[in-house]
Amino acid sequence: MTTIQKLIKEIENLKPIPAIANQVLAVVDNPDSSMEDIANVIQYDPAITANILRTCNSVYFGLKNPAESIKTAVNMLGIDQVVELVLLKSGTKALSGGSKGYGLEEGDMWRYSVSSAVIAKQLAVKFNLENKNTIFTSALIKDIGKIVLQTHVFDSYHKIQDLVDNKKYSFREAEKKVIGIDHAELGAMIAKMWKFSPKMVNIIRHHHLSDESMIKDREIAVVYLADCICMMMGNGVGLDGLSYRFKAQVVEELGLSADDIVMIIAEFGMNMKQVEELLHMV
Amino acid sequence: MAFLNLSLRNNNGLGSCVKQIVGVADMKVSNNIKESIITYSLGSCIGLVIYDPVVKVGGILHYMLPESSIDKDKAAARPYMFADSGIPRLFKTAYKLGAVKQRMIIYAAGGAEILDQKGFFNIGKRNYMALKKMFFKNNVMINKQDVGGNKNRTVRIEIASGDIYVKTSGAKEVKI
Repeated sequence: MTTIQKLIKEIENLKPIPAIANQVLAVVDNPDSSMEDIANVIQYDPAITANILRTCNSVYFGLKNPAESIKTAVNMLGIDQVVELVLLKSGTKALSGGSKGYGLEEGDMWRYSVSSAVIAKQLAVKFNLENKNTIFTSALIKDIGKIVLQTHVFDSYHKIQDLVDNKKYSFREAEKKVIGIDHAELGAMIAKMWKFSPKMVNIIRHHHLSDESMIKDREIAVVYLADCICMMMGNGVGLDGLSYRFKAQVVEELGLSADDIVMIIAEFGMNMKQVEELLHMV
Repeated sequence: MAFLNLSLRNNNGLGSCVKQIVGVADMKVSNNIKESIITYSLGSCIGLVIYDPVVKVGGILHYMLPESSIDKDKAAARPYMFADSGIPRLFKTAYKLGAVKQRMIIYAAGGAEILDQKGFFNIGKRNYMALKKMFFKNNVMINKQDVGGNKNRTVRIEIASGDIYVKTSGAKEVKI
């Protein structure tokens, strides 16, 4: 069996992200959908519905009367908040474990993923992009490939680290060189097998901009930039550290100055509390 | 390594050692010898550790950005986010607990950088320069530092001993 065949076998053993995430994304980023359409999709998944209602009725939201259906939850909290909760809850199981190969303790990857998703959405709003929820979810699950690749990274750690330390490879380039596939490519394979939209598969595949021409896609550019910022903030970063390349074209493409980047980071600093709250809620 | 194991055993032996966690854009100062202060996952942020061994007062500031002039409102709401608004507060809080500037032991960690950042993303370096500039003006010396590179770091100080430990992801904690 080749490494790739072995990896595909391992993907089949992963706990998949529930189908509800795909269904919600299909309606929520469609401008013709109504709030009712979205609520309808959510309420057909009893586990997620129960979970969402429990969260909505937690002390955090301080609702006077408990929400007893998704429709009332949507009315009380707003559609954005409910959708965000559904998407976050869909990702929790798959992303909350530790990862020895990347030096991540339990919860680190989840913290990093939620932070990236929050920054990506912040950027999507700033640049007035459509498909904000697709961007949020892509940023949330973009490192799913690490979960499968981590045992291989662990086994080849010294070879990978040698390329990074002494041969000027980025960590992703070293993964590709040593294992034959990097975590972004593998993540895209997983997303495809889980039937995520081609758009999401593409964002995950290119979230480190290994193919620089992809920078023209603003959704990819935004998820990429969010990842760079998150890496710098260090929250949930593993032994790969900041060993990824920054492509300066992204700031030109998005029309940003160095000061804009600082402002985006400061904005995220203000939102840190929101990230912590989301982490506690989900 | 034997030394490291020994020091870890000692920590466990303390039993009642309470960990005060410093979040991002946050600060903690303590004179409680049963406490240690820790800040996790410094990327391009800087973890500034100060300690006065005479009165056993120590603190950590975890700041994200060099200058508060970028946004005065944010600096007012979150002063520990910036070097220039956070560092004076760290020192002043320690002075209130009896620490004296001349006795202060100072350690800085973090300021890491992403590869090929070409000036747009050199926040790590700018964070470190902001610290150096402020210390130069105020005649303060850094005793030790672990700054730059591409690793993220976790820093911890024990108030009783003033011992400082640093850990990079995937590696063991080491005493500096």
